[in-house]
Amino acid sequence: MTLRSTLLDAPDACIEAADNFEALNALYLERGWSDGLPIVPPSEERVERMLAYWDRAWDVPIARIPPRWGEATPLRLAANAVMAGCRPESFPLVALAIEAMCDESFNLYGIQTTTHQCAPLAIVNGPIGRELAINCGHNAFGPGWQSNATIGRAIRLALVNIGGGIPGAGDMSTFGSPAKYSYCVAENEAASPWEPLHVERGFPAETTTVTVIGAEGPHNVNDHESVTGKGILRMIASTMMIPGANDATLGGGEPVIVLGPEHAATIAADGYTKADVKQYLYEHAQIPYGHFSDEYIERRLEQRFPGRLEASGPKAAVPMANRPEDLMIVVVGGAGKHSAFIPTFGTTRAVTRPLRRADGEIARSVSELRRA
Amino acid sequence: MVELDKRGVFAALVCSTPFEQLARMLAARLGMPDLPLMVIQHPLGGLAPEKVGERADALAASCIELLKRHRR
Repeated sequence: MTLRSTLLDAPDACIEAADNFEALNALYLERGWSDGLPIVPPSEERVERMLAYWDRAWDVPIARIPPRWGEATPLRLAANAVMAGCRPESFPLVALAIEAMCDESFNLYGIQTTTHQCAPLAIVNGPIGRELAINCGHNAFGPGWQSNATIGRAIRLALVNIGGGIPGAGDMSTFGSPAKYSYCVAENEAASPWEPLHVERGFPAETTTVTVIGAEGPHNVNDHESVTGKGILRMIASTMMIPGANDATLGGGEPVIVLGPEHAATIAADGYTKADVKQYLYEHAQIPYGHFSDEYIERRLEQRFPGRLEASGPKAAVPMANRPEDLMIVVVGGAGKHSAFIPTFGTTRAVTRPLRRADGEIARSVSELRRA
Repeated sequence: MVELDKRGVFAALVCSTPFEQLARMLAARLGMPDLPLMVIQHPLGGLAPEKVGERADALAASCIELLKRHRR
């Protein structure tokens, strides 16, 4: 099967337009096929090149993306990856992230359509993240790195163009979020004193994984003063206590604590394991009922925790996760005494998927995914 | 809502104005373009319970009519 025949067989799969960058970008903006930034025109040649690292069929959907429930075929995903400026080597991770977020437990329908400001965050672990130079150090959540910027952008464009997450029509977010342009990082495994996220979630270290989380943007925790693990954790726990976060009001999510490497080193040096960190933060990030309005307590908290107020009185409090294990710990970033808290949509579970070859074996290098 | 209808449960969807386009797009994609949809003035959230009751009382009759029309 050639790409050309695939395109010709699919009605409305291609449009004819003048080979003019400005005119094409104007057309894409007019039709709502963009995030507002200029796109790289997805010509047949470019889409075909994008699929150079896809060792499976191009026309078999890997998922259906809500709310339009559009079929995410590799061909369509590749067109969006071209538009985002992705390198072909990055394409397998774009497809893997989309597949992961279409797992039912992720609740992509809710995340796409909600008035909340969440966006899917993709955290990459394992060797292919390093091979593709996905930034895990200084400014990892910010601009300047092609892989982070373009993998995240390709995901967003697919959510809009295939999934129908069109602002004001399918994406009903009250505010939106800068994270909706692009939200992709790698874990700084080399700087972590603990096992990386994918190993904790049951995969061998040599596996490359993408973990997707329906998340808000990062909230910074500046702590240059604490010199003990307990001190830093106390500051993080206090920063996590956000009464208006869905993790407090709905529960059920897996909020992320992003530890900067320096904070992580201090915490680990004081003997804390990852499980200890989770336990401490669960116990200390509990919001007293007094931080909520009377109406909120009556209409929300009394429904979620029947009788808690009566039983505990002034000590009644709301945790930031349903249980300690639901707090996700990752190490990201460069030098500096900062960590971050990333609340979630609440009614969502994180999903981790391994990057495999067509034969089912774990891909150890992106070159193993190159089409023959 | 679409799933309820498929199971034979009489159901109508009440949505507020900003969400009409999403509701119609989704209903069409899920094979129910004639979804019985009642569009009400936004917002409904943030109202005191008695105000919600007043809105519901005012809409109940037309909601029943909508269901009857859909079932004909």
